[in-house]
Amino acid sequence: MDPAEQDALNQALDRMWIKFLPQLQERVSILEAAAVAFSAGQLTDQKAANAAAHNLAGVLGTFGLTEGTALARELEIMYSREGGPDRSYAAHLAAIAGQLRTIVASRK
Amino acid sequence: MSHRILIIDDEEDIRDVAALSLETVAGWEVVVASSGAQGLARAIEYPPDAILLDVMMPGMDGPTTLRELRKNPVTAKIPVLLLTAKVQASDQRRFADLGVEAVLFKPFDPMMLSKQISAALGWK
Repeated sequence: MDPAEQDALNQALDRMWIKFLPQLQERVSILEAAAVAFSAGQLTDQKAANAAAHNLAGVLGTFGLTEGTALARELEIMYSREGGPDRSYAAHLAAIAGQLRTIVASRK
Repeated sequence: MSHRILIIDDEEDIRDVAALSLETVAGWEVVVASSGAQGLARAIEYPPDAILLDVMMPGMDGPTTLRELRKNPVTAKIPVLLLTAKVQASDQRRFADLGVEAVLFKPFDPMMLSKQISAALGWK
């Protein structure tokens, strides 16, 4: 692929990022809310949190955000645990969700 | 050489980026489906040279879709590559045992996806 074609692909990816940004931000919101609920002992929709983390793990790296993929994967593993994440991880869940918010906001 | 690829993935963002990648980088024709059931229908309607199949989908998941593809004489011999965000070794072994041509991982590099598919299928 010559530089012009690569540039065209990158520009198309940038347009897709803009198109999908609202739903990516919504998934981060789901993870932030799940962390708050978990901290209060009121996590009722672990499946939604797991699905949001799974999607972000799959998609963020595709847009060059490999650290986002690693963090989302960490959350996916915790939320896929039967019975929910370990109680000692409450602060960690919130911290990772916050990091994901920053990473998503960092891509222009 | 141009190929037709069927992408079956319930996640619109992944589906669109994969389609963009294969069309732009390789110049392949891409047909998309957002569910296993729709993918089965598309595979019959627009017979592809290969299928890129997501593993985790609501309703009919990837392995179930694969079994249905293999049951139908029209689609039984179409090469299938699984696409998964699961990276744990036990998952990888399970997927490899399903009898697919390759297991590809999310996130993928849009610049490299067509090359990964070509390499797995022995396409020049």
